[in-house]
Amino acid sequence: MSEAVYTSPLAHLEDTRDAANLSISISEISDRGMIDLRGEAGSVKFRQAAKAALGIELPLKPRSTAVKGDLTVLWLSIDQWLVCCPRDKADGLIGKLRKNLGEIHSLAVDVTDARAIIRLEGDNVREVLMKGSSIDFTLPDYKAGLARRLVFAEIAALAHIVADKPCTIDIYVFRSYADYTWKWIEATAKPAATIGLFSKQSG
Amino acid sequence: MLIIQCPVCGAEGDETDFHCGGQAHIARPATSDPDNIADGEQRDYLFMRFNPKGLHFERWRCDRGCGKWFHAARDTMSLDFKAYYGITDLPPAEVMKQATGQWADFFKQATATRPAAKKTAAKKTVAKKSAGRKAAPAKAKKS
Amino acid sequence: MTGKPYRLPETAAKGSRIDRSKQISFSFDGTRMTGFAGDTVASAVLASGRKVMGRSFKYHRPRGLIGLGSEEMNALIGVGEGGRKEPNLRATQVELYDGLTATSQNRWPSLDFDVGIINNKFSRFLPGGFYYKTFMWPRSFWEKVYEPFIRNAAGLGEAAGEHDPDTYEQMHVHVDVLVVGGGVSGIAAAHAAAASGKRVMLADENPVLGGVADISAGDIDGISQTDWVAARQSEFEKSGNCHVLTRTTVVGHYHHNYVLAAERVCDHDPDLLARGAPRHRLWKIRAGQVIVASGALERPIAFANNDRPGIMMASAARAMVERYAISPGMNGVIFTNNDDGYLTALKLHEAGVAVSRIIDVRKDVPTAFADTARKAGLNVHTGAAIAGVETASGGKQITAVKIAPYSVGRGRVVNEERVDCDFVAVSGGYNPVVHLWCHNGGKLRFDDDIQSFRPDRHGDPITVVGSANGSFDLKTCVEEGFASGETAAKALGGKAAKPVKKPMVKAHSAGPIQPIWFAPATGKYNEGNKHFIDFQNDVTAADLELAQREGYESVEHTKRYTTLGMATDQGKTSNINGLGVISDATGKRIPEIGTTTFRPPYTPYSFGAIAGTKTGELFLPVRRTAIFDWHKKQGATWEPVGQWRRAYCYPQAGEGKQDAINREILAVREKVGLLDASTLGKIEIKGPDAAKLLDLVYTNMFSTLKVGKARYGLMMSEMGFLMDDGVTVRLGEDHYLMHTTSGGADNIVAWLEEWLQTEWTSLKVFVTSVTEQWSQFAIAGPQARAVLDKLDGDIDLSPEAFEFMSYREGTLAGYPVRVFRISFSGELSYEIATPSGYGRGLWDVLMQAGKSEGMTAYGTEALHVLRAEKGFIVIGDETDGTVTPHDVGMSWAVSKKKSDFIGKRSLEQAFLASQGRKQLVGLLTTDPQDVLPDGAYAVESVKSAPPMKMIGHVTSSYFSPTLQRSIAMALIEGGQSKMGETVSFPLEGGKTVEAVISSPVFLDAEGKRQNV
Repeated sequence: MSEAVYTSPLAHLEDTRDAANLSISISEISDRGMIDLRGEAGSVKFRQAAKAALGIELPLKPRSTAVKGDLTVLWLSIDQWLVCCPRDKADGLIGKLRKNLGEIHSLAVDVTDARAIIRLEGDNVREVLMKGSSIDFTLPDYKAGLARRLVFAEIAALAHIVADKPCTIDIYVFRSYADYTWKWIEATAKPAATIGLFSKQSG
Repeated sequence: MLIIQCPVCGAEGDETDFHCGGQAHIARPATSDPDNIADGEQRDYLFMRFNPKGLHFERWRCDRGCGKWFHAARDTMSLDFKAYYGITDLPPAEVMKQATGQWADFFKQATATRPAAKKTAAKKTVAKKSAGRKAAPAKAKKS
Repeated sequence: MTGKPYRLPETAAKGSRIDRSKQISFSFDGTRMTGFAGDTVASAVLASGRKVMGRSFKYHRPRGLIGLGSEEMNALIGVGEGGRKEPNLRATQVELYDGLTATSQNRWPSLDFDVGIINNKFSRFLPGGFYYKTFMWPRSFWEKVYEPFIRNAAGLGEAAGEHDPDTYEQMHVHVDVLVVGGGVSGIAAAHAAAASGKRVMLADENPVLGGVADISAGDIDGISQTDWVAARQSEFEKSGNCHVLTRTTVVGHYHHNYVLAAERVCDHDPDLLARGAPRHRLWKIRAGQVIVASGALERPIAFANNDRPGIMMASAARAMVERYAISPGMNGVIFTNNDDGYLTALKLHEAGVAVSRIIDVRKDVPTAFADTARKAGLNVHTGAAIAGVETASGGKQITAVKIAPYSVGRGRVVNEERVDCDFVAVSGGYNPVVHLWCHNGGKLRFDDDIQSFRPDRHGDPITVVGSANGSFDLKTCVEEGFASGETAAKALGGKAAKPVKKPMVKAHSAGPIQPIWFAPATGKYNEGNKHFIDFQNDVTAADLELAQREGYESVEHTKRYTTLGMATDQGKTSNINGLGVISDATGKRIPEIGTTTFRPPYTPYSFGAIAGTKTGELFLPVRRTAIFDWHKKQGATWEPVGQWRRAYCYPQAGEGKQDAINREILAVREKVGLLDASTLGKIEIKGPDAAKLLDLVYTNMFSTLKVGKARYGLMMSEMGFLMDDGVTVRLGEDHYLMHTTSGGADNIVAWLEEWLQTEWTSLKVFVTSVTEQWSQFAIAGPQARAVLDKLDGDIDLSPEAFEFMSYREGTLAGYPVRVFRISFSGELSYEIATPSGYGRGLWDVLMQAGKSEGMTAYGTEALHVLRAEKGFIVIGDETDGTVTPHDVGMSWAVSKKKSDFIGKRSLEQAFLASQGRKQLVGLLTTDPQDVLPDGAYAVESVKSAPPMKMIGHVTSSYFSPTLQRSIAMALIEGGQSKMGETVSFPLEGGKTVEAVISSPVFLDAEGKRQNV
């Protein structure tokens, strides 16, 4: 028997993807490993063990993120984080976390394949998101480094603002919704549908 | 559309981002003494609810945010939220004082056995809304 | 033809909205017409000399244009063809574009000749409350006679019968200040609010800002109102903190300042639509402060036959001249009870439109206005009213009005003067547009000065300014607007970087208005004389008076009885006049009568806007497993399970669904089958108290489960009813993996979280859903092990090493897997889970590996039959939220040792333990080929007609290819003690099926097949 064959959540759209015709650019990120980490933020032991394994402090401020090298930790709740790393490092990192956490009350579980990630880039990204979400992405603190769960296009999603210029936002949805989400963005991000919300018009 | 703020993570959003868990402060008889629950007591626990015109106390969950449950005091007439507080706490004393009818009786009994919760960061009374909804952005709880 | 003689020459009237250099061609009722860029359908049709634009709803009377904008209730048209057709649009709002197709409504076969006009002749038999009086008895007439009649007569335009090819969308926005209405008040408000740096949104339903600035008198800051508006608009556009939406109607105001606004993005521009813009966009706005500057609407006057084409609001006549250079006719009269009528008269006169009489209800007219008019050579006739209208061409055009001295009452006019005219411009005063103010509970008070309701109190952060607040003079409009903008921004903590100058307006005062709710007519009252109050619903003054005589005293009752102010009109023009008539009839003052409730939407908006992107493929989010495309390629039919699409069965060429299902079932029983079970809920549960939690949420014991072993568990609600089931595996001492039903997956995670957070707060447990992390397949059948043995792997599959109800982790054919030896089919079965990214790869490997063993993919229906043959329940089939574990014969799974678990105490209540409850049994029909319908009722004894006492119902029913007969499960009263008895199921069509009650386990009761 040969090696395991990997299929990304949006692989089936490879032939029909036509992002060129949109007001933003969209792409699938499939090389990211993800670990769901649960633990008590109030426990110093837990935080230290997590830091020892990850090499980075867990972010404690709601909706914040911590980045170091190829590792990004997203705050999901007061006792939950999503640790993102290169796909091939997820296994090793979980092992390390479990080893360091030992008997400390915690849960580290591989959820690499549970979600699909779609990257949205361009000036119009916030506007496209706000066509499908009641969250105000224009708030002053909704800048690079913010991550939050939300309802997007009627489904549960996670948005991570990766960069401001150009605006780059990663949308995480459960894998089964990948096809729906992609098509929703394609239908919504048509150039002619651009609003230019609160944009300055010269002349 | 109600606009709600989670006292745990500070996220503000539409009521559709939250989940209402019905009346607050209902004690589950089986948790304290599973072997001695009269039929009537179980019935009251399952089915009997307050239906006040005015200040009401409810359980809500930050469904699309941090996923945590919290308590909220809401006026069923004006639909204004008067306070958000922790899921294991009683309401802030100044809000509890405004309760009427069945709730007033309930808190009288509840505070006889257990003092009103101390003011913590997770607890927040809501600014008067005549200033407009966005006048006072709330601080998130410090962990 | 561009409409001579109705289109005025440029020298007489420029027409501020039109561009005479751009001719536009369109069609109205199939006739090709032309207009200019900037025209509305109403102005362009009127330019052609055509006055009839629609027929009325009930009497089918010919109707012409009456209003200025969205309040228009006569000229309702359908626009567009095929799937793009949209009915009930107001011709006054529809902007002209090349190729536009408009059709009139409520007429057959044509607008000029309409059969339904016969209703007008019989109007004596169609009084107020007609529907309630006529369609009462006999009861048997309802379905076949009355309802089809009402359905035919009801409704306005016809909806498109085809799929709409256009796209629609929705947009969320959060603003500090929302200003509703872009007239001078609204603009002043936005101007002041935006200066503070706060985010302001200004929405107006018209294509051009300014409201009636272009047709009103007075300057702001020493320049014309129009210039002042243009200057502000250009500031807004450059500001970056004031977003202006035109062609956007704010349709509703809801709790916490949530506001809906419907934008018509490309109704005016087919090119934009062709480029892919959404046709309409629904804005969902959350605003810190709302400022309502929605203006006021002119109200009609109830005089005899006031609905004839050519009779229109004075402001509409004025706008026709000034905006579109359209003369409403050759020779008109003005009928007014306030000063505004004179402004219209003068503007028309200036443009060279003949105005032969100004008829003023008031005896004493403030001299300034009357003098100006008289100086201009106009004939002012005071203390008089229109008593009748003469028409030609079957009421399609007017030829003269009759004028009589006015006195309040219903008396018959005898002395009248006849004045030739072909149009009448009517001004009955203005009503503030208070709809939005009222949507979320704003209170009103009646103001005698304006003879109308104006806003009073509101509990929300919302203010109302300008003529919407009953302030009709320009100075107050601008001042109120500006002040509200400042106040709103200040309340939100805004501070002006540099203070903006308050706009200056010179005051001028208007004379008082004299209410007139009814103008007496020549001839006998209401014989050939209809005083219309609600034009859209054909409600007359007489209808309202009748309703009072018949005892519908409450205005809310009158509304429903007569249909006054119902439907799309929402009382815009009819409300106050209706109250005036009721006031006259009852002797009560209007504030004592009160007003009806204004409900959203302010104007109708399209279903497309409501649906937004949720159409076609995006109608519902559809969840796909990693194997979806394989299923699709195999021609699977689908079963929706929650939002999932699961393969139902895989019909091959020449096979029907039932053939496919039977083939799949027999493959599992005789060879080997593969099922995509990825949708099953999967939850990791870990922590020192994990076992304790499971003991509390399951009816049976999980703390005693050994590591590496699996156990089937039942979950109840706190009321003692079954809510979920599944197999839970102990991965480690403090670590479990719970399987839930596909539909219950999300709910059960939330359920566990809720109990942990709110009740058992001291338990140290974390739960996390891993449903989507794993693709999971059931490989089932006598050959299952043989197939797996062919694959490389590090798991010993031998029966000794890997027992039934246990779990292993390892690799299989190079794939990382979790293998559970569990069975829902009753056959030798393994459930294999691999991370979803590998799901498709492993599926292909398994299908390939089993080829020689006859590997067959099976769908959810085969799965259901397989489990039914074994008597396994399905939550949601055998249970419906009122079924206990005892009822389904699973008392064995309810622990007697545990002192507490969810639902335990409730299950002990006497009525849940009684023997008479419906209990789960199997059914074997007397004729083995008879398959009972799902849900069929068992009765105590069969009678010739209902009622028959029902004693239970079928929960699952199939044809079993394994047993070559039908099998069913049912909940039957006391069923568990009725084994061997026969019960009857009378079916629709008179057939009765008899079945013998049996054990629900039809196959392999000892469980030998799965344990090999």
